Amino acid sequence: MIQILRIEIYKIFKRPRTYISFGIVLAITLVIQLALFSDGKEFLGFFMQGINEQFDVQGNILNGYLVAYVILHSLLMQIPLLVALVAGDSLAGEANLGTLRLLLTKPISRTKLVLMKFLSSFIYTLILIIWLAIVALFVSMLLFGTGDMINIKSDSFVVILQNDVMWRYLLAFCFATLAMTTIASLSLLLSAFADNAIGPIISTMGIVVVMTILCNLQLPVFNHIIPYLFTPHMVGWKGFFDDPIPYAAIGRSAITLAAYTIVFLAATIYYFNKKDIKS
Amino acid sequence: MPSIVETRNLYKSFGSFKAVNGLSFSIEKGDVYGFLGQNGAGKSTTMRMIMGLIFPDSGEIFINGETFNNSKRHLLKNIGAVIERPDMYGYLSGWDNLRIFAALSDKNITKARLHEVLEVVGLTGREKDKVKAYSQGMKQRLGIAIALVHQPDLLVLDEPTNGLDPQGIAEMRQLINRLSGDLGKTVMVSSHLLHEIEQVATGMLVIHKGKKIVSGKVKDLLNPDETLVSVAVTNDTHFVEKLNQSQWGKMMERTTSGSATFKMNPSVIPDLNKWLVEHDFRVKEIKSEHSLEAYFLSLTHDTDTQN
Amino acid sequence: MMSIKAGLQILFLSILAPLTVKADTGTDLFYALRKKALLVKDYTADVNMQIDVSYMKIPKLKGTMYFKSPDKLRLERHGGISLLPKKNVNLTISNLMPAGNVLVIDIGNVEKDGKKLHVLKVVPDDDQNNIVLAKLWVDEANLVAVRAETTTRNDGTIIMDLTFGKYINWGLPDKVALLVDLKDYKLPKGFTLDYETNPGAKPDAQAEKAAKASKGQKGTIKINYLKYDVNTGLSDEKFK
Repeated sequence: MIQILRIEIYKIFKRPRTYISFGIVLAITLVIQLALFSDGKEFLGFFMQGINEQFDVQGNILNGYLVAYVILHSLLMQIPLLVALVAGDSLAGEANLGTLRLLLTKPISRTKLVLMKFLSSFIYTLILIIWLAIVALFVSMLLFGTGDMINIKSDSFVVILQNDVMWRYLLAFCFATLAMTTIASLSLLLSAFADNAIGPIISTMGIVVVMTILCNLQLPVFNHIIPYLFTPHMVGWKGFFDDPIPYAAIGRSAITLAAYTIVFLAATIYYFNKKDIKS
Repeated sequence: MPSIVETRNLYKSFGSFKAVNGLSFSIEKGDVYGFLGQNGAGKSTTMRMIMGLIFPDSGEIFINGETFNNSKRHLLKNIGAVIERPDMYGYLSGWDNLRIFAALSDKNITKARLHEVLEVVGLTGREKDKVKAYSQGMKQRLGIAIALVHQPDLLVLDEPTNGLDPQGIAEMRQLINRLSGDLGKTVMVSSHLLHEIEQVATGMLVIHKGKKIVSGKVKDLLNPDETLVSVAVTNDTHFVEKLNQSQWGKMMERTTSGSATFKMNPSVIPDLNKWLVEHDFRVKEIKSEHSLEAYFLSLTHDTDTQN
Repeated sequence: MMSIKAGLQILFLSILAPLTVKADTGTDLFYALRKKALLVKDYTADVNMQIDVSYMKIPKLKGTMYFKSPDKLRLERHGGISLLPKKNVNLTISNLMPAGNVLVIDIGNVEKDGKKLHVLKVVPDDDQNNIVLAKLWVDEANLVAVRAETTTRNDGTIIMDLTFGKYINWGLPDKVALLVDLKDYKLPKGFTLDYETNPGAKPDAQAEKAAKASKGQKGTIKINYLKYDVNTGLSDEKFK
């Protein structure tokens, strides 16, 4: 088992493509940091107009903590793509290369192989999130300094004291890892159906985008389905920056995401064990 | 002694296409078993079923006497295979590819063994190069190294000469002979060319449209007595009559007015020629062809005309 | 004609006479109060502040409050952010008492929490002043206002309750509670992409709840002054 996992991780990190993801995260992060560095005042002014009318807010508002939040918020659509890039490739990419054929003539069970593909995708996701934490949070803290963190919501304005921030980020990154693991398991499932990696990657993004649009439309017709979609739960990490923290809602979201992950993984294992390898 | 691989009534369809249609055969230990058939005859599908890549619709596969299915994948431990193209991780070196697949073979494989197997396939010195820089022949040899590294009893090689140049084909033939001769492996090898099978195989099976056409030992199937010799003459007066009255009559398969086809050992062709000359027949052509080859070519012809 | 006019004057004066006498006491009291407030040229105080507004979720803010007469105020949060109501809703009592000439109306004494308080209504002469009317509850014995209800031109009504302790001689409170009128707060959801704790719930219900929470608000700001350093000669630099 460990052997297969080590090999899967080795294969992921031996590929130049993997590092493109890390490069993309770095590039997007730097662009947002640069933008906020030069135009952060206007950006803040826009969001804070409701508060600024009545209060006089001073100090390092646009600090590393807020910048990191803005970056995480902006990467909502990009990170799933980067996760799909690896997880969607894990089975379909090998089918396309032809190596799946060779891999499956080895005396390892297909279930184990799927589990290890999932675990290796999870580890990649985790490392990607850690990388995101480094460049989005720690680099922002270096560039913008620290201070109390503000969180501007549509119906409230939250201030979090600076010594109260880091543990929230820790939990938020844990939650983000869970959300991205759900994406990884979805990509893996789609990957089992396909013989080239483009399909699963695009389908994953398609599903995420369609679900997100459905939720944002807020049409009454869809209201019954929305709680059962996984995309609204993916932003559960934001809950850690509220006061009080809506633990019950975050817990519900986490359970929903975990349930989706398990269902996707089980479906992958079931299907892959029946699949004829014709590639 | 049980067969190393045996299939009973294997069926597999893809949609309405019957890829394998009731195939039964067995491969004994030490055989070099040739699997001969046109492209699309069902060779690859059969090999994939033996390797657990494709699941049969019905029928049974036995490996070393044990029923094989998806839950018995440990039986693959004693098989090494190259199915169709020898595809590898191009972004990794030959060494890494070999190491990775060796690690998945559920056996302890030493570094020395990796070097040894590279030596066997003649890739020593090139193992650090990325596989994407390899020629087709090198990839094929690396594929065989991977199939061989865990010292399996049986090697399943699907069209190993595909895409190779004549020199590569010759080297592959030597390699297969060496695997079977020096290393004592049982080899199942498929091809769409009879002479390739003829040169390496001890047993063979001809498959067409998913069905077994003929099988047996190569030395029996390619028995020289089964050679078809056809003779054409320019003066056909009493040609058939005289032949019928001679010792050649019982060997005669079919005749037309100026030609006759015999089933005979090619060693007697000079005698036949002498007899014809002595009986004042003007020989235009004597042509020999093995009956199996003729038969196989007729299958090809069928497929070609269908296409 | 004359007699009627004189008669009315007498009548008017006789009605007003008791008030005027009283008003003089009130006016004196107000000016005494204002004079006392002016004793404090500046102060530095350790404070903690609690902002209690339904749409704002802000923990207790600890910091140092700097004040310089007449109207400079700054909360220093040692690296943290500072949040104060806008300048025109100033937190110091001196700013809730109108400057310049005023008309003081003496309402008389009331009892509150066992204390006798003198209630004054103050109307500035200057009709450009942001303060339209200030109502002060004065503890005469200690010469401090313990409550001020100020109606402003632009910022609604501000009610300020003050509790005094050690610094009563300076007229500086230990605790101030400020009740202010607030405008609505609402940002379009598309901009903020909130985390829905209850996805798929009827948008109407959510919107209603949000509207209810933010419409015609009153908010309280409570400040505890823990320690004052008075008249240390703070420079204007502190307030930049």
